[in-house]
Amino acid sequence: MIHIKNLDIKLGEFRIRNVELKVKKGEFLVLLGPTAAGKSVIIEAIAGLVPIQSGKIMLNNRDITQLKPEHRNISICYQDYNLFPHMNVRNNICYGLRFKKDRNNPQYKKNFKAMVELLKLGDILDRLPLNLSGGEQQRVSLARGLIGNPDVLLLDEPLSALDPNIKTSIQEELKNIHQALHTTIIMVTHDFIEANYLAQRVAIVHEGEIIQQGYLEDIFQKPKSVFAARFIGVKNIFWVKNPEELSFFGLKEPAYIGIRPENIYVSHQPVNTDYQFEGKVGYVQNNQIYMEIECRNSTRNYLSYLTINRFFELNLKKDMPIYFGFNKEYLIHINK
Amino acid sequence: MGKRFELLYIIAAITGFIILFFNVFPILNTFYWTDLDTIKETIVDKEVLASIWLSVKCASITTVIAFFLGIPLAYYLARHEFKFKNLIESLVDIPMVIPHTVAGICLLTVLSPRSPIGHFLDKNNIETLGTEIGIVIAMLFVSMPLLVDSAKDAFKWVPTRMENVSRSLGATQMQTFLGVTFILSWRGILSGMIVTWARAISEFGAVIILAYHPMIAPTLIYERFTTYGMKYAVPSNIILIAISIIIFIILRLVSLGGKEKHDTH
Repeated sequence: MIHIKNLDIKLGEFRIRNVELKVKKGEFLVLLGPTAAGKSVIIEAIAGLVPIQSGKIMLNNRDITQLKPEHRNISICYQDYNLFPHMNVRNNICYGLRFKKDRNNPQYKKNFKAMVELLKLGDILDRLPLNLSGGEQQRVSLARGLIGNPDVLLLDEPLSALDPNIKTSIQEELKNIHQALHTTIIMVTHDFIEANYLAQRVAIVHEGEIIQQGYLEDIFQKPKSVFAARFIGVKNIFWVKNPEELSFFGLKEPAYIGIRPENIYVSHQPVNTDYQFEGKVGYVQNNQIYMEIECRNSTRNYLSYLTINRFFELNLKKDMPIYFGFNKEYLIHINK
Repeated sequence: MGKRFELLYIIAAITGFIILFFNVFPILNTFYWTDLDTIKETIVDKEVLASIWLSVKCASITTVIAFFLGIPLAYYLARHEFKFKNLIESLVDIPMVIPHTVAGICLLTVLSPRSPIGHFLDKNNIETLGTEIGIVIAMLFVSMPLLVDSAKDAFKWVPTRMENVSRSLGATQMQTFLGVTFILSWRGILSGMIVTWARAISEFGAVIILAYHPMIAPTLIYERFTTYGMKYAVPSNIILIAISIIIFIILRLVSLGGKEKHDTH
């Protein structure tokens, strides 16, 4: 339903190049990429908020490239909420309705009630934004964006300004909203974990270009580039070129391979995996929900993530001899 | 535990005292140069009252014109980066660095019937020199930069993203400006208007070049000072100071009142 064709944008020195993107009706697409990759510029272009150099934006088979933002029926929510500070929560939520031709449509009253219920805003309707927590502000911002039945809801890093507990609950609410309303959502984030939780499809943005897009599982299993692989959490990426290693990994020509750290099995006993190594523990780092272990082998160092339980079970210490390995299905072949 | 005295604060206290003394003492000292009877006499002096009224009226008209002319430009400058922006901002601020009598003469060269604009106005029976229009033009020339700069700073405080959200929710650019940006910048703009008004009412140099008559208060005071000396200049001085300060305080209270109301929610 949204089709972006060959989009080019130039903002000072920064450029967005040749963006091709299709988003189906009711889909949750995540634009994933590092800071300053151009993700926000892409969604602002969809909303009509930045001038584009060339390309087309089609919405429901209608060319909206030249339409002003107010005529697109695409709403945007930012990470810093941007609630109108001079209006209470109720007026913030209903702000957009005053500009609608069918503002008296009873459907909007129903939407208001549904939003208030879905996002638990009943107790704060008369409060000003100044007196709301970050989580409450983001809920109001979402309700404000959704009340007018937008064709597309654009979310620019909606979770990144929130503290971890609130982030989890808003993330959950976003998922609920999407399931309940089937609104088409395009969300921008730099956090793969958020994308993993929310997205049906992902587009990876790097230096102003979409370098890969597809269903989450596909991107997760088959990242097409070293950058994409790194960005989705493949920590072990190696350039394999010597004949011994090529034959070990079953490769015909030099190539990049990748292995997710959580797929590397570590033990005190020889392991029963397709690829097996003998080595010793490099460093150990506690990452609060998992342990990061460097497994040193005579040829390469691999990074492995162990659960805290497994780590204590093995009682690993620096320089301790270990066996480690992984199965064939976890070996990722990366094109470039 | 005793209070610690930081050197910087001690310096600030001393310099602060010097500034306040420098600002307030000459004003207060004026009162010692006259007596109550002369002030009473001056208050009912029709010439004095007319000049003060003219000053207040022209400064107010100037502020309103500066508001309507300055706000759109200030908004554009606050929101856009473009080539030669610095140049345009400098051109807007130029009147602030030109001596006021020089500014008056510059304006005179434009409004004189020998210049095309002056000739055009003359032909259409619009008199500027020696009229209230001339006074307003002189006041506008020197005070407009203050309004543009204050409004520009005020607009910058409203995030562009907030406007983006408003546009995406269906508001046009004008609806967004009036319903969000302007309301949120209003306090800053009001402060700018107060400063503009204050600058306009205190203008003298440019005004006497364009319109010695009708006399605004500063011109009348100047004339009385040069013709009759201190004795006759001081009472009008005191009345103008009092009126200016009263209006200034009222406007400040209005703007601060808005601030407190906003902050307490």
